[in-house]
Amino acid sequence: MFQRPSPNIALGANENNIITRADEVETVVGPSVHVEGDFSSEGNIIVKGTVSGNVKTSRVLNVEEGAKIFANVRANDAVISGEVKGDVKVGEKLELTSTARIAGDIDCKVLVVEAGALIHGKITMKGIEMPEKAEKRDVKRGLGFGGKSRLSIEDTDLASATIE
Amino acid sequence: MYVYLYDNFLRKGKYESLVKSMENRLTDFGIAGKIIRLQNLTNAQEIVEDEVRKGAQTIVIVGNDTTFGHVLSRAASAEVVFGFLPVGPDNAIAEILGIPSGEEACEVLSRRRKVKLDVGWVNNRYFVSRLVVEPAEISIVYDEKFKVFSEPGKRLELVVCNLMPYISEEKKEKIVIHPQDGKLEAFLRPVVRKNMFKVLYEEASVFPFEEMVVSGNRAFTVEADGKKSKETKIKIKLAKKKVEMVVGKNRYF
Repeated sequence: MFQRPSPNIALGANENNIITRADEVETVVGPSVHVEGDFSSEGNIIVKGTVSGNVKTSRVLNVEEGAKIFANVRANDAVISGEVKGDVKVGEKLELTSTARIAGDIDCKVLVVEAGALIHGKITMKGIEMPEKAEKRDVKRGLGFGGKSRLSIEDTDLASATIE
Repeated sequence: MYVYLYDNFLRKGKYESLVKSMENRLTDFGIAGKIIRLQNLTNAQEIVEDEVRKGAQTIVIVGNDTTFGHVLSRAASAEVVFGFLPVGPDNAIAEILGIPSGEEACEVLSRRRKVKLDVGWVNNRYFVSRLVVEPAEISIVYDEKFKVFSEPGKRLELVVCNLMPYISEEKKEKIVIHPQDGKLEAFLRPVVRKNMFKVLYEEASVFPFEEMVVSGNRAFTVEADGKKSKETKIKIKLAKKKVEMVVGKNRYF
């Protein structure tokens, strides 16, 4: 009388909505799923659950609101709305939304911080060369920006972002 | 030389005229060959190996997804080109391979556009379409690198897709997996709750992988290409470019 739950149930129900996972391999960590260990992918990664281990991708990492990562993160681009307790190293653009919480050092080329995002750590950005003297002076003063780069923030209200 | 493996259901009267017209088209194309009718207990591996020894160069499966899985799960290791002529309903794999149903499939077969496809390997047998672990308390270790599990007491359903598409009920999508990308795709869904009519799942997690080990404290049900068994631990691996197959130009990959 009743159909058994099966992955076949909806087969054919939405014939027009076909997605081919041909070129872009995407990894998704669901909301109540836990991942333990070093986690790497050649495609985009979307984290909605909890990851206790390093996360690495050569493409885009998306950490959604409510998601938690307890280790270092490496990606080419990243959008973070969740919590990361570890260093974040991004090759190109790192975007922190208002719900982002980063407890660790950040290394990236372009940084976008939305009002409300919290950062506790050192920020180092590529693209600017500072004389060695200035670097030493900065370190003495305890500015803590790595000495050889400056922070570039787009479309943000820096006053609300906490940078320690 | 072509050898055709007919599923037993093709004996039914309603398929008689279609099968006859397909046979005529195959004769027109000059690719008619020996016909072997499969029974439920037929060992496809023995038949295919025997026919290859006798000189068969192309083994053509005639039937539906079940026939396809039944033959290739045993015979995928044979050094021969496989073809597929889909007949009747339940032919999702043919669509992915770009093979139209009925007579038109004969034309695709005659063109011999060949590609090598990845297949899955689980506990000493192949699976070509899909493997399903019914909801159970399981944990999964991917590529010996990371472990995936759910909250205590929450059961997980695991679907590993190769040629059969994955249907996402939440997003109303049919996800077609690339059978040549060197990865299998695992879709993992925690059960939220179960009522009399339906099991409700959370959004699926997706992990592309080459090897995974699924284990549980209690036995769980595994269905690979329609064959069910009870296991406490399974190892799923990718067999890269294992099957050489004739496909259509309208394939999804």
